Amino acid sequence: MTPRLPRAIDQGLASCHVCGKVTPVNRGRCPRCGESLHLRKPLSVQRTVALLLAALALYLPANMLPVMTISELGDVMASTILEGMVEFWHREAYPIAIVIFVASIMIPIVKIVALVWLCAAATGKVHPSPRVLGRIYWFTELLGRWSMVDIFVVSILVALVQFGAYMTVTPGPGALAFAGVVVLTMFAAMSFDPRLLWDRLEILNASETLQPTPNRE
Amino acid sequence: MKRKASIATWPKPQGAPHPVACHFCDTLHDGAAVPEGTAARCKRCGVLLYQNRPASLVRVTAFSATALILMGIVNLFPFLSMEANGIRTELSLFRAARELIREGSPAIGWCVAIFTLVAPLAMAGGMLYVCAPLLKGRAAPGARHVARWLGRTEPWNMIEVFLLGVLVSLMKLGKMAELTFGVGFWAFGALMLCMAAAVAGIDRNELWDRLEVAEE
Repeated sequence: MTPRLPRAIDQGLASCHVCGKVTPVNRGRCPRCGESLHLRKPLSVQRTVALLLAALALYLPANMLPVMTISELGDVMASTILEGMVEFWHREAYPIAIVIFVASIMIPIVKIVALVWLCAAATGKVHPSPRVLGRIYWFTELLGRWSMVDIFVVSILVALVQFGAYMTVTPGPGALAFAGVVVLTMFAAMSFDPRLLWDRLEILNASETLQPTPNRE
Repeated sequence: MKRKASIATWPKPQGAPHPVACHFCDTLHDGAAVPEGTAARCKRCGVLLYQNRPASLVRVTAFSATALILMGIVNLFPFLSMEANGIRTELSLFRAARELIREGSPAIGWCVAIFTLVAPLAMAGGMLYVCAPLLKGRAAPGARHVARWLGRTEPWNMIEVFLLGVLVSLMKLGKMAELTFGVGFWAFGALMLCMAAAVAGIDRNELWDRLEVAEE
């Protein structure tokens, strides 16, 4: 087994989450940037779960309600995110259809499921395997922003397609819900503290090594 | 031009050792200097701890100044225009946000404005404000506060996502109208690259160490 590497928390040290300086946590504030110091992000799991629940509540309206309405020569057509994707598929624009599917449909739901899984692992309900879960966390943090692409498409079309009675695009109520899902899941990913997974592993390892040899330090 | 691999590192603040803790698994490291162009990784989990970027301050100053100029070009010159049925409409970052606010979705309009206008401007302006005086070893007044906000703003700068949005919109509009790209569009592509280069140009630990040294 690899030797146990020292953790900052074992020595009462906190690394500032703004500037990265390592300082004793009892100083309260970071001497370098003035941010308040915490060993772990405060109420990390609770905040993440709360934000995820809010995102989940918006997920259905985001996908059921139209993100935009296109009125063309008197015909009014509302379009949801899924319909927008299907339309590209029918027009045989497969790469764009796949981009929209991944960015708008897959990433948000995968992100919500992944963060729920991470919270379960951080609270000890699932086995924490930080290497795998860490990768998942990194992925959710990196990819979350790309879901915003559909909101930008709406904003671009609304700004460009203003041809009076001939053709106009107006934003729909689904767009607000969808933007809400993206922003809330981004905040959820930010409030999750991946160090909790390693803490959990530490507890597990300690109980495993303690049981067979109770005399160990 | 041939350059020797330099082991030059950024100046460290005075006093005791400067340990670094992995933000991912909390393992303590001694924070030893690494050669230019390389990175230190966590001994336990392998995550990036810090990196020593070559010519960091010069690059960040140059790229963020360029980004600010490009932002002016993007907003002053036509971005994309569309003609259908004898009517011509134009797209700009500013209009993309304003039309949403006008068409009854102010909340999303403001989101778009923050993600494509406010956050990139704050990032580029903030990096220039902090890094340019550091080139001469000085800290600008209030540089700490600006640097604190830089980290918070970073995830909300979404210009590259907006560019993908433009491409998807082009595919959507393709057949129904005539589209013309303006100078603004190409400037926007360059802006995206400059912002990425400026953000990746300096390590957070280096920036804060230099700030601390400059204020000593």
